[in-house]
Amino acid sequence: MSPSALNLRSVTLRLPRGSGSLLAQIESALAAEGQPVRWAITAVEPAPDPLAGPEGRVMTIEAVVLV
Amino acid sequence: MTATQPLPTLLVIPTGIGCELGGYAGDALPAARLLAAASGCLITHPNVMNGAALYWSDPRIHYVEGSALDRFAAGALALRPVRRQRVGLLLDAGLDDGLRWRHLQVAEGCRASLGLEIGPVAITDAPLDVSLRQGASGASWGQLGRPEVLLRAGRKLKAAGATAIAVVARFPEDPGSEALAAYRQGSGVDALAGAEAVISHLLSRELGIPCAHAPALSPLPLDRDLDPRAAGEELGYTFLACVLVGLSRAPDLVPLAAGLPGAGALQAAGADLLQIGEVGAVVAPAGALGGAAVLACAERGIPVIAVHNPSVLNVTAPALGLDVLVAGSYPAAAGLLVALREGISPAALERPLRRLVGVG
Repeated sequence: MSPSALNLRSVTLRLPRGSGSLLAQIESALAAEGQPVRWAITAVEPAPDPLAGPEGRVMTIEAVVLV
Repeated sequence: MTATQPLPTLLVIPTGIGCELGGYAGDALPAARLLAAASGCLITHPNVMNGAALYWSDPRIHYVEGSALDRFAAGALALRPVRRQRVGLLLDAGLDDGLRWRHLQVAEGCRASLGLEIGPVAITDAPLDVSLRQGASGASWGQLGRPEVLLRAGRKLKAAGATAIAVVARFPEDPGSEALAAYRQGSGVDALAGAEAVISHLLSRELGIPCAHAPALSPLPLDRDLDPRAAGEELGYTFLACVLVGLSRAPDLVPLAAGLPGAGALQAAGADLLQIGEVGAVVAPAGALGGAAVLACAERGIPVIAVHNPSVLNVTAPALGLDVLVAGSYPAAAGLLVALREGISPAALERPLRRLVGVG
């Protein structure tokens, strides 16, 4: 990674809980925001379709990413 | 406690979420010692082990920074126990003269009194500019205004021979804040913890060596209502001693992912490497199961022991669709670890005992 012009950015994502690997789903969503430095699922709530995935839940992920 | 082989176990107590046990100044250490005795091999992170001026060294406990723990759980890293690390000291240029001298003297004290190998020392070429933030969940987060300054100083230390790095950054202070008062009285979230984690994650991820962080703050005025769990941070001028002790025997981080330079040779040489495939359990708070290490373990089929340990989060096994072993306390978790270590099915210890179910 280049040492110049690095920035850390706080991100909050809401993701439907899809089927399959939860970890892969989160990492893929975070990769679109930058390089994840730290993240956690901080809430999981039931939600009506179409917002929720097949599991009927939406996750909130708080993160800091490097951009 | 048991004559069988160790059961390598991960203990995760996320930082900055106000865990009733482990959300303060090294107040999860007794639980870590108990789980180390039960498992014979415990892998855990600085938030569990760091008690400012207080620490405990146990050869059964491996001190692994949080992001490295995540990569270990994902199978991207192995751990190699070492006799000692050479701990480089990275000081934020934002420290005033007095704080810089205090931290240098802690390092000197650890050399003289504990025999640790510390040095070289580097001061960043500009202040790190740490800021604090609270997420919507109530968890603490934070940032660095100049991440490249941290990385530049870290690279310099590594090039000069440091095999681990202790970072001391100047943190913003608000001694009159309600949040600080609540934390000191045992009912709040550690507002510094999120930024600390970001600093050590960033450095460890970039340099691939053990890293941990101690915040630099001015001493606080006496609080007669201080909660015992926060007392470890009120004993002296710095929080650095525990970090230096933890890092002094932190295992080497050995990359395993294909394509990384030297990974094949390291794997070939690595009979003494500890890898995720050997881990027999992960222990985490029942309401904080949504972190990378726990999810990676669960996806590998490693038993997850979910312990009652309230925090600001409520990310539970049912919410995530995880199968877990439930423990009402850390002593109960220790009992489950002994059962797993001895090959006793935890289900056989429960009543009522469910009947066998046929298949097909």
